[in-house]
Amino acid sequence: MMDVAVIGVGQTRYGMFPEKSLKELFHEAALAALADVDKGLDPRDVDEAFVGTLSTGGAQLGNFAPMMMEACGMVGAGARHIENACASSGFALRDAVSAIASGRAKVAVAAGIEKMSDLPRERNRLWLGISGDVEWERLAGTNFAGIYAMMARRHMHEFGTKKEHITMAAVKNRNNAVANPKAQFRAPLTLEQGMAAPNLASPLKFSDACGITDGASMAILCRAEMARDFTDQPVLVIGSGAGSDYVAIHDRPSMTMLKGAFEAGKEAYTTAGITSDDIDFAEVHDCFAIAELLAYEDLGFCDRGKSGPYIESGATLRDGARPVNNSGGLIAKGHPIGSTGTGQVYEVVNQLRGRADTQERQLSGARYGLTHNVGGSGAAVAVHIFKAVE
Amino acid sequence: MTSYISLPTYSSNIDERLRMIAGKCNQCGTLAYPQRPVCIKCGQNKFERVPLSGEGKIYTFSVVNGGGAPSEFDEEQTMTGDVYCGIVELEEGPRVMVRFTDINPEQLKIGMKVRAVVRRLYDQEGFLRYGAKFTQVA
Repeated sequence: MMDVAVIGVGQTRYGMFPEKSLKELFHEAALAALADVDKGLDPRDVDEAFVGTLSTGGAQLGNFAPMMMEACGMVGAGARHIENACASSGFALRDAVSAIASGRAKVAVAAGIEKMSDLPRERNRLWLGISGDVEWERLAGTNFAGIYAMMARRHMHEFGTKKEHITMAAVKNRNNAVANPKAQFRAPLTLEQGMAAPNLASPLKFSDACGITDGASMAILCRAEMARDFTDQPVLVIGSGAGSDYVAIHDRPSMTMLKGAFEAGKEAYTTAGITSDDIDFAEVHDCFAIAELLAYEDLGFCDRGKSGPYIESGATLRDGARPVNNSGGLIAKGHPIGSTGTGQVYEVVNQLRGRADTQERQLSGARYGLTHNVGGSGAAVAVHIFKAVE
Repeated sequence: MTSYISLPTYSSNIDERLRMIAGKCNQCGTLAYPQRPVCIKCGQNKFERVPLSGEGKIYTFSVVNGGGAPSEFDEEQTMTGDVYCGIVELEEGPRVMVRFTDINPEQLKIGMKVRAVVRRLYDQEGFLRYGAKFTQVA
């Protein structure tokens, strides 16, 4: 197996861009990623491309990946669409890593995009529920907010977690996004405001959830042995893990863990040859605030059931022992579904290269960064570990 | 607006929805409700059809705010507001995601005894969709 390096990353700002087409958004992310390859890369030299999207604005399009390649001058690369709901581009990354590690491709791209703003509200809500177990969960009248709310209630019941602990993740991430020019929601939030927000799906409030977002992102990867031809600051992908689980949460033995995330984390740590203790910082999938607490436990950042006290300790704040979602996470940076996985890579790679967009956000001395990308309520999960090259 | 769950899909498991029919694994006896092609415990794929009592306890729940439910519930939410839903652990063991009905939302709690009743889910494609909802056992 060949070692794999990231040589360039790009991301659009996350937000609502009704004036931009799908192709324009993708082009913007690709242009940024290409510009980030310091010594230059001819886009026609890309061998393989994996493009994550759920359904391009609620409209299923065939041959979606070649269309995106066309929009950024990469015509000719073997390209395909990867779909695993909100984990689409986390899996696109895993496939790009495999394509290079196997020796088949020298240069590959993993990308993701979603345009959620072009839809009438009712179509958005029709569409947002399609990544769960639609025959049963959906007929019960719930979308993902309700499903994560039910997990939150079990966590509170089984471990004595307080609602304040859950909202602390939203507060931290909203405050982290204030300094991130690429983030969608940049207004700070206090715990009091978060606790007093209107009900979304009890016990979750509106401030515990991500929003509706447009955005695109791309990571360019190559064989590690070639990386210095493209940049003096390559970042190695040293661990990759993936897992899946029953789609409907009622079929799972436990609703307070994502088994797929646990398995993906285990595989990523094993392939990287490190443990959770070595992870300096992480971008995790906080689609709803409770999901960040589950991630702490599934990834081994704290013991099972102890994520409440763990977040309360401040360990995952920007200046804590292991910052989590320094970008603002899905809740504040934004969650353009298909773009989220490679958007996390954008953040982690920039941090490891010392290239955070503002000095205030730059973490110091970080060697190992982790990304955790979850599809739906945990049906599919991809975890990756990155290492800075000295 | 087209329906997401088409009539043929809906009618293919109407026995489960209206009559609480589960699958009982021929090999290990594990109950599958909702029914599934492969046993969750032993991996076998032959099931006997058995009716469940429809009795159970609330395992977890949520009150989903108006506008938060899928769009086929729009008409109902406009009239009733919040949607009360959750997971019920049935007496026979399986858990299932359900709607609650005729229940005082203030009294919803984990462990509360509930029972299945057939109620209207929504109206789409000119056809009333019925299914089991769960109500408080007095």
